[in-house]
Amino acid sequence: MLFNEIYGKYFAAVSEIIKAAQSGKLTEKELYAIVQREAFGESALTIPQMLKEEKWPVLKKDLSTPLEHTSERPLTLLEKRWLKSLVSDPRIKLFDFSAEGLEGIEPLYPPETFVYFDRYSNGDPFDDPEYIHNFKTVLKAIKEKRKVYIEFTGHRGTDQKRNCIVHRLEYSSKDDKFRIIASGDRYSVIINMARITKCELMGEYSEEEYKPKMPVKKEVVFELYDERNALERAMLHFSHLEKETEKIGDKKYRVKLLYEQEDETEILIRLLSFGPVLKVLSPQSLIAQIRKRIEKQEKLRTQK
Amino acid sequence: MPYSELIKNFERIRDYMRQFYVYGFKSRSEYDSKSARSYDNERRRIESWLGDYMSFRTTAEGKNVFISVDSRAAERNPLYNAFRAKSFTDGSITLYFYILDLLSGGETLSVQEIVDGISEKYLSVFENAEEFDVSTVRKKLKEYAELGILKAEKRGKENVFGLCENKIDLKSWSEALAFYTEEDPLGVIGTFLPKKPESEIVFRFKHHYILNALDSDILCDILIAMSEHRCVEVAATSKRNNDVIHIHNVYPMKIYISTQNGRQYLLCYHYAYRQPMFFRLDSIHSVKAGAAEKQHEKYEGYYEKLKENIWGVSVGEPFSMDHIEIVLYIEREEEFIARRLEREKRCGKVERLDVNRVKFTADVFDAGEMIPWIRTFTGRIERLSCSNKSVEKQIFADFDAMKALYGGDEDAL
Repeated sequence: MLFNEIYGKYFAAVSEIIKAAQSGKLTEKELYAIVQREAFGESALTIPQMLKEEKWPVLKKDLSTPLEHTSERPLTLLEKRWLKSLVSDPRIKLFDFSAEGLEGIEPLYPPETFVYFDRYSNGDPFDDPEYIHNFKTVLKAIKEKRKVYIEFTGHRGTDQKRNCIVHRLEYSSKDDKFRIIASGDRYSVIINMARITKCELMGEYSEEEYKPKMPVKKEVVFELYDERNALERAMLHFSHLEKETEKIGDKKYRVKLLYEQEDETEILIRLLSFGPVLKVLSPQSLIAQIRKRIEKQEKLRTQK
Repeated sequence: MPYSELIKNFERIRDYMRQFYVYGFKSRSEYDSKSARSYDNERRRIESWLGDYMSFRTTAEGKNVFISVDSRAAERNPLYNAFRAKSFTDGSITLYFYILDLLSGGETLSVQEIVDGISEKYLSVFENAEEFDVSTVRKKLKEYAELGILKAEKRGKENVFGLCENKIDLKSWSEALAFYTEEDPLGVIGTFLPKKPESEIVFRFKHHYILNALDSDILCDILIAMSEHRCVEVAATSKRNNDVIHIHNVYPMKIYISTQNGRQYLLCYHYAYRQPMFFRLDSIHSVKAGAAEKQHEKYEGYYEKLKENIWGVSVGEPFSMDHIEIVLYIEREEEFIARRLEREKRCGKVERLDVNRVKFTADVFDAGEMIPWIRTFTGRIERLSCSNKSVEKQIFADFDAMKALYGGDEDAL
């Protein structure tokens, strides 16, 4: 159903080529540029040739076309049904959109079809009008390249104020939360959207002021013994991080993971969740924390 | 057949992409179940689709190919590209553009009128272009009507075809699409939309498991069947059955998704086994919709009874319930641990025993599924008891093994 040629990159590229031909602006160079932009790495070996040899007779030798209309294809029923499903998603209130044209369309799925069984239960209040207002203000600020004035409650419960440039809105499916990645004159800050108590749009910022801070990456190396399907579990569990895996013996693997420094505690407990099939080799700081927890655990057991 | 970067069938490439992405330590010779040429072709295709996301490492065993993506930094899911590589015939792509162009004026035309129009308006311009016969065009029109881009009507005795109306203003959806295309389980559909509004990169995603994209086709077929309350025939493999494909007749009830490892599961009622079952979507090779289930409310009712005691994706075997109690000792400044327990528990209850102690109690079908989560509280578990003694034993044996592993025994792993 979903794997269909009309959704393919070749169709999209040829559609753009026809449009360019209709406007009278298509050149040989432009043809290759469209293919490079719209299709895959090696498509330039195929698409131009098929068009020139008239195997796909939509383009004449002089790069004009007998096709007259430039309208896009209508949306398929599947595309409409998918869009209709989004209308019922709890987070859709954060966005402005027009549902016109979706009347009478059956959604592909209702939201309760999906059960995110290990998602944390203290997700953001997507229904709260104040939250929605703050979200939309931040979204607008990013799009219009404007600063925002934000008041929020910090992690330790203190009220804070910031004039900042927001670079990205970050969503975590596990936390079911949005956070804003922002920076000011001398700092960078990550703020949970739900902690924002006031959010106002300020003036535009210049390109020189836009200095997103690159996250500090750290590396953890561990050995993994493939028992109880540990290899597959670990590979999937950490698959969202940049990693390199190497087989170093029978059922034994060495894995190198890159993570962002601010996530160290989270990485620590995730490594612990694998128990004794995984041994951290570096960094020493992480090993020290693991040892401390094991010692504490041992103490609690012997105190019984 | 000469090499092409397009493919007819998604199944084989799905397996390669998974292996390159999930494991990435295998050399060419380790893909021994397939021919070397097949490996080379698949690798070349994936490289063409994913570009810089493909990485290589040379080891003593040979060259290892792997896909490495920091999904927090990647602006778009590169694996979606695979779904945009379906092969087609020369006639198929040509007819697509001819038919859309002919009908773009808003008129409705019969099959014969379309065949004649194609011949006069387009083919006459090209020297060696071949005519399309009526049956080929009719087949294509029918296919497009089923996809929903054309509407078929009756004009007297004959069928006529016109373009479906397109009232949807995708521009108004630009921000929502930027979010849902990455976040929704079927977000790949967002990449198909014609005239997609190009929006600023606004979002990034943490804990983002992009591999699910490869199961989109399977998921889509299941969702369509579910929306019509149909039972389905699922062809699936399992490690227990040595990866042999087995056919299962089931009634699909829910899709379970892990936000902590990205796995997706079909929860269904298995007609032959007469019990609810989970199938990993990545173990499903095909889905065939069957008849509508008249008693669908009965099965959905089963789920309502089950859901409170499912910890993860197991309903145990047989339906025995495990009772588990854990007491955590938390220091004065570790109140966040109590909050963690509260937000991470999926069932059961949390009680405050005193200033330093919190108790978690639950009844679940399979307490074995809780072990990885329990281990994350290492250093704080004061008491633990489980009616399933093997679970209890496992947890304490793991603590001992961890002690040996980090307590100086260099080769304990």
